[in-house]
Amino acid sequence: MKKKPYFALVLGLALLLLFTLMSAAPGLFTDYGLKDMFPQWLRPSAEHPLGTNAMGYDVATELFYAARETLYVGLCSSVLCLALGTLIGVLSVRTGVVGAFFNALINIFVLLPRLICLIVLSGFLGASRQNLIALISLFNWVGIARNVRAKVLHIHEQPFMEALRIQGFSRLHIALCHVLPNLSDVLLSRFLLGVNSCIMLESTLSFLGFGDLYHPSWGTMINFAYKRGAFLRQAYAYLLSPGLCIVLLSLSFYFVSLWFEDRQNSIEE
Amino acid sequence: MKQYRRSILSALLCFFVVIALNFLLPRLLPGDPVAYLTGFAEEDMSPEKYESYRSALHLDESQGKQFLYYLRSLADGTLGYSYKKEAVVSALIGEKLGYTLQITLPAVLLATVLGLFWGLDCAYKRGSVGDKLSSALNIVGNAVPTFVLALAFIVVFCFKKRLFPYTGLNSDGVTPGTAAYVLDRLKHLFLPVTTLVAATLPSRFLLMRNTAAGILDEKYVLYARERGLSKRKIKRAYVLPNIAQPFITMVGMSVSTCVGGSLVIENIFSIPGMGRLLTDAIYSLDYPLMQGILFVTTAMMVLAIILSDTVCILVDPKRRAGGRA
Repeated sequence: MKKKPYFALVLGLALLLLFTLMSAAPGLFTDYGLKDMFPQWLRPSAEHPLGTNAMGYDVATELFYAARETLYVGLCSSVLCLALGTLIGVLSVRTGVVGAFFNALINIFVLLPRLICLIVLSGFLGASRQNLIALISLFNWVGIARNVRAKVLHIHEQPFMEALRIQGFSRLHIALCHVLPNLSDVLLSRFLLGVNSCIMLESTLSFLGFGDLYHPSWGTMINFAYKRGAFLRQAYAYLLSPGLCIVLLSLSFYFVSLWFEDRQNSIEE
Repeated sequence: MKQYRRSILSALLCFFVVIALNFLLPRLLPGDPVAYLTGFAEEDMSPEKYESYRSALHLDESQGKQFLYYLRSLADGTLGYSYKKEAVVSALIGEKLGYTLQITLPAVLLATVLGLFWGLDCAYKRGSVGDKLSSALNIVGNAVPTFVLALAFIVVFCFKKRLFPYTGLNSDGVTPGTAAYVLDRLKHLFLPVTTLVAATLPSRFLLMRNTAAGILDEKYVLYARERGLSKRKIKRAYVLPNIAQPFITMVGMSVSTCVGGSLVIENIFSIPGMGRLLTDAIYSLDYPLMQGILFVTTAMMVLAIILSDTVCILVDPKRRAGGRA
């Protein structure tokens, strides 16, 4: 029996708690409001831990307020991914035309160049939070669907499934009451990893300028910093701190997911 | 054999999905397809101009005919016409594709080969300090978005240390064709390629490490160890042939991730490749160009997958025999 990664779990939960608190009550972390004006491009100091930006806003305050947007888009799209992935994964196991169709759908989406499709589609649809969530979940469910499919195929081999079929339970009943509960561990760990990839996609798209300008996330912040010359002003803290937050957030989900997982080889594209 | 044929089939299917998507997007989205296909707002066009665009784009004909026209534009290699840039899309992409490939191909090769050998080595020394450190490093690396990595590299190597140039592909005043020009180009390419390798390496490493670790648990590896074969011999003769297929498939899949990554990186390093072209197209709402880029990248990806699957069949004696039987 392998030792459970207690340390990773505690670290992951602590980070998650911090970020949740940040998004629930950003006011706790900072004395300034989001639109308080100061001189522009101040260096990091005791009053402004990360300096101020091109508009004269406090960067740290922006950072705390952006946590909510990043988490919101990440969580919403991964919940949608989970629903879509589970549905398609379960359906793809069925025999006949339906199963073949959904299986082909999975195979196609595995191969699609995800980032480029997302960029082009967001170009067509325009930037907004809803579009971002819809597009990310539309292109990110496939990993979950594949894992669900593998697990359902595994469950179908089990003797208790045969017993259920012999007793004449309907397919819907078997799927809802016997297959789904057995999927829970796969779903949970895939969900946590799915949040990761959703956050990555969200921040990449926001960095490229497809983020919602009214709800700036960390990716949008880096985009602004980059566009408005943080390099030349040497405001490296402004440029890199949102990136650090993205890394920490996605690591925290990964650490928690390790707990629910007996294999370590769960990282995929 | 069957498995490979199926994945080639789904690659082709995927290709057709993208073609259909390209065709349907401007026609199904709310708004006038004329506006989407020219990139101009319809209010800005005079009625005559509007009619001339409509007939030039064959929008007054049936949907089936329109699809045939679209397929023809793909088949003759023009990929449509960009009214914004007043040029044929394939010509626009053609002149930029080379720059993107200069970043993508070295990155694909380096990332996959490094991932293979590093992963294999760590799998062999599983549980050692080196393995734990490398795994931890790669897990953290896997959580860093590509653009953050690129920005961090620029800050460290270009602004703090001033080791590398941070923009463009060549400095001013270097004449093409000389040795200095090539050196200068290499110096400019170093950081983008390194970024892309560092961004794609972690997932390759983890995949290879876990695949190899699974094979090292097999009985025949144990037997080889008991016979006192050297570490190198075991790796080369027992493990490598068995992870060859997942490795080759991974190389094929890497092409599309690396092209995606390079689109992001080009923007940061101001490299005039397809990534820049795509952002330009998006900011100027040049829809035909966007579609062309999506088409070309998908074509590259499909090609890579078909190639890697063919190689998979070629290198595997079992599959070859199975195919003949």
